[in-house]
Amino acid sequence: MPGTPIEIQLRALSRRFREGEREHVVLDGLDLDIQQGETVALRGRSGSGKSTLLNLVGGIDAPDAGTVTVAGVDVTSLTEHDRTLFRRQHIGFVYQAFNLVPTLNVADNVRLVLELNQVPAVKASSRIDKLLAAVDLADRAGSFPDVLSGGEQQRVAIARALAHEPAVLLADEPTGNLDDTTADGVLMLLDKLVRDSGRTMLIATHSQHVASHCDRVLELHNGKLE
Amino acid sequence: MIPVTYRASFSYLLRHPWQLVLSLIGIVIGVAVIVAVDLANSSARKAFLMSMDAITGQATHQVIGGPLGVPESVYADLRVEHGIRQIAPVVDGSISIGGASAQLLGIDLFAEQEIRGFTGDVRSAETDASSLFVDFLVEPGVVTTSEHTARELGLAVGDTLEVSAGGRQHEARLVAVFPDDGNSGLERIVVTDIATAQEWLGQAGWLSRIDARVGDGDADALMRLEAALPDGLQVLSAAGRTRSTADMSRAFMTNLTAMSLLALLVGLFLIFNSVNFSVLQRRGLIGVLRALGLTRRQLLAMILIEAGVIGLVAATFGVVFGVALGEQLLDLVSRTINDLYFRVNVTDVSIEPFSVIKGLVAGVGAALVAAAVPAIEATSYPPQLALTRSTLERRAGRVLPLVTLIGVAGMIAAVILVLISGSDLVAGLTAVFLLILGFALCIPLVVRAASTIGAPLAGKIGGSSARMAVAGVASGLSRTAVAIVALAVAVSATIGVSVMVDSFRGSVSQWLEQTLRADIYTGSLREGAMDPALIEAIRKLDGVETISTRKRASLEDANGRTQLRVFELPPAAFDGFEILDADPAEVWLAWEHADTILVSEPYAYQNQVGAGDRLTLPTDFGPRDFRIAATFQSYDINASAVTMSRATYARHYRDDSIDSLGLYLADSADIDSVIAAVEALSADGPRLYVTSNEGLQTESLRIFDRTFVITDVLYWLTLGVAFIGILSAMVALQLERAREFATLRALGMTPVQVGGMITAQTGVIGLLSGLAAVPLGVVMAYVLIKVINRRAFGWQIDMTVAPDILGVSVLFAIGAALLAGLYPAWRAGQSQPAIAMREE
Repeated sequence: MPGTPIEIQLRALSRRFREGEREHVVLDGLDLDIQQGETVALRGRSGSGKSTLLNLVGGIDAPDAGTVTVAGVDVTSLTEHDRTLFRRQHIGFVYQAFNLVPTLNVADNVRLVLELNQVPAVKASSRIDKLLAAVDLADRAGSFPDVLSGGEQQRVAIARALAHEPAVLLADEPTGNLDDTTADGVLMLLDKLVRDSGRTMLIATHSQHVASHCDRVLELHNGKLE
Repeated sequence: MIPVTYRASFSYLLRHPWQLVLSLIGIVIGVAVIVAVDLANSSARKAFLMSMDAITGQATHQVIGGPLGVPESVYADLRVEHGIRQIAPVVDGSISIGGASAQLLGIDLFAEQEIRGFTGDVRSAETDASSLFVDFLVEPGVVTTSEHTARELGLAVGDTLEVSAGGRQHEARLVAVFPDDGNSGLERIVVTDIATAQEWLGQAGWLSRIDARVGDGDADALMRLEAALPDGLQVLSAAGRTRSTADMSRAFMTNLTAMSLLALLVGLFLIFNSVNFSVLQRRGLIGVLRALGLTRRQLLAMILIEAGVIGLVAATFGVVFGVALGEQLLDLVSRTINDLYFRVNVTDVSIEPFSVIKGLVAGVGAALVAAAVPAIEATSYPPQLALTRSTLERRAGRVLPLVTLIGVAGMIAAVILVLISGSDLVAGLTAVFLLILGFALCIPLVVRAASTIGAPLAGKIGGSSARMAVAGVASGLSRTAVAIVALAVAVSATIGVSVMVDSFRGSVSQWLEQTLRADIYTGSLREGAMDPALIEAIRKLDGVETISTRKRASLEDANGRTQLRVFELPPAAFDGFEILDADPAEVWLAWEHADTILVSEPYAYQNQVGAGDRLTLPTDFGPRDFRIAATFQSYDINASAVTMSRATYARHYRDDSIDSLGLYLADSADIDSVIAAVEALSADGPRLYVTSNEGLQTESLRIFDRTFVITDVLYWLTLGVAFIGILSAMVALQLERAREFATLRALGMTPVQVGGMITAQTGVIGLLSGLAAVPLGVVMAYVLIKVINRRAFGWQIDMTVAPDILGVSVLFAIGAALLAGLYPAWRAGQSQPAIAMREE
């Protein structure tokens, strides 16, 4: 898609972890451009650095070297506080283990990010209704996560991740805890919602099947993208 | 509307109600103890001040005299010769009515309107103010009292009543009551005519004082009054006298407040513990919230607001329980004040808004302070989803040396504070708290070392379960340390206080044995002199070889009150005084012949005087200088005392009264027979106490024990707080380790084995707490004895550490921990492995 703006740009990105005396290089001078609206799968073995890369893009972690630019903002130049505010506005997360807040019901789990972004209550309620309808959970708004199935929980997590209309959606093994049928459903839903809203998505996954839904597939191997 | 983030956080607490309740209880008890002590102290003080205010009335000044008081003739002279009108004579003293103590106030109704309004404001169908005048004048034994007191004593107007005063029974008639209009200052005050009071209290010809009303800034009137007084009488400010009397109990009240703060300190550890746990357990939630965009500041505010709300709710309950507890403590506090300082009648706790606010602030403040550390730590979590336990423990391990260093610095600061603060009591108590905190911060490092070393040993003895139990203490230090510290601090407080009281009791017992040299002691039961004829008769009794006499007097001047003891001693009694700073031979040589006095050690310490110094005392001939011949050891419950010989006293005071005797018997005499003979001699006169040397020692120690009952109550409450703390810690630990226990169950451990492992671990926690408490307790006892008691009361106590106190304390710590571990052990044993795994 020539002419489409770059949404995520990595330049010479490195991240190392120290384990006692040993230094473990997880990401080694990565360069990457992801265009707006593109969906990219990030594949690699366990420990290859997929989650680390997602954390760096989301501003959860900071690199040892290099830059991460998301939606035109150099995330690596921000303070921790500003990274938090940036993440709050521009990033949506979907995790393997769903990570819903167990003490909040479905609607409130979605409302949480809207409230953090100071979306007015009436507008927030309307958006929650729409999103829950979109993920087919309109009738479970008052339910708590512990009574939902894995697929339902992940659909709530997707609604939560998209509620504040982030520029970028980061998904870390979003179907890793689900059976094949459920995983398929969740994947279709995620794909549809992301594409319909024109958002950029980066998915870390082991699965070839998941990767096949994406526009582009990248392999992370020995700290390098292939 | 409550923000969703806060709802997420609070809902967690509501989903773990027992944990929430336990953390609330820590604050509730801590605040309750503080409020209770504060209310009991302030109620007792307020009751005393209100009573003094009611009795003093409009009087601005009081004319006082020597040990016998003010000669009656002086009052007449002031009125008639000098034309001073705004004065009123007073004779007052203690009486009892049907076993209830009261204060008798003898007044002259003609002069009263100038000073006290209430005495003329009678209220009854048959009596008005004018008939009361007539009754007072013509009928002896006529009394009035407040409506409330009459009700309390079950008296109605017209009733006759038995009044016990000066060791005799007197018949009285209640002719009227006056309204108290809710003024509790008038409680237990019985008013009578001055002549009746003089007769009942054995003060014929003497007044206790003359109350005077001098207009604001009317220096001329004051000078005129002072000029009209003969030598030996002085005019003092009424408010100043009240204040200096009330201030006598300040050290006692400060010590009680410190004890109550100790309960809150232990409570503080508990709050820290529970907030710490709730933060640790929610680290996943915190990670999600941080990932979704909650800033560090918002997270900090969320945790602190949560702690503040918990603190406020708990403090509110604490205040309610505090008021109820205050009612119970009030009796103990007022009894101790009555034993040690001054008479106070107080039956109800008055709820002071300031005490309530203090309790609320203490509760919320403690919760916020305790929550601050875990809250700050939580903000340092990276916004990842779950910090592993090993990461948390590594963090805890990393800060351990710094925490220990701060602890050592705290202890050094405590020592420096003691060295530089002279005799300041508050600084001494601050040092105690610094010492406790400093030592507490060192405990985790020691626990880790002990647990690491002990684990292999435990493995050899009890197998892998035992090794896991012991090693679990160190590997879960971020959870176990605070529980161990809270229990150790509470147990060390019991050791400190027990060793202090035990040492004190030992010193007092030894001192009584040395001081009480006579075989029998007798004297007037209440204020009042013994009949001289009776004294002579006792002196001549068969078997009585010699006697010593004693007179207690209170000397007062603008600097305050000085308790004076006047002795006529046989040489055999000299050894009863342990002279501390002079040659006893020289002291006793000068005892009767020169104007020398002895001062008790507490008096010497509080007034910074000693052998060779001079002391000015008011005498019947004006102020006189006396040379201090020596300081002697004393644990007299009245704390400060000046002692002089009868001969010296006779040269300076026109008073030959004696209020008690010591009887030295011949070797062949039978003590019981002589006691019976003394009782027979006094059968028709005022009631006397007659007791053997042994009996007096027993009674003295009984009073000693009574004054420490309140201390016992407070430290049991502190232990209660600690117990709740360890229970809370064990329950939380069990929740935290649900997956670990589930895994063990899945691997084939039986519920009994899992429960046994937890019980063993709580036992180890109790043992380590108990062992850590021993050195802290002993050091605390040392500071309480050598610094706090010395500064508060001037007492010098020999410290003795009874091994049984230490042993029982360690056993208590183990027992408390085991008891607290029973429920978590049972619960862990009952949990289904599958469910526990899924919940995690």
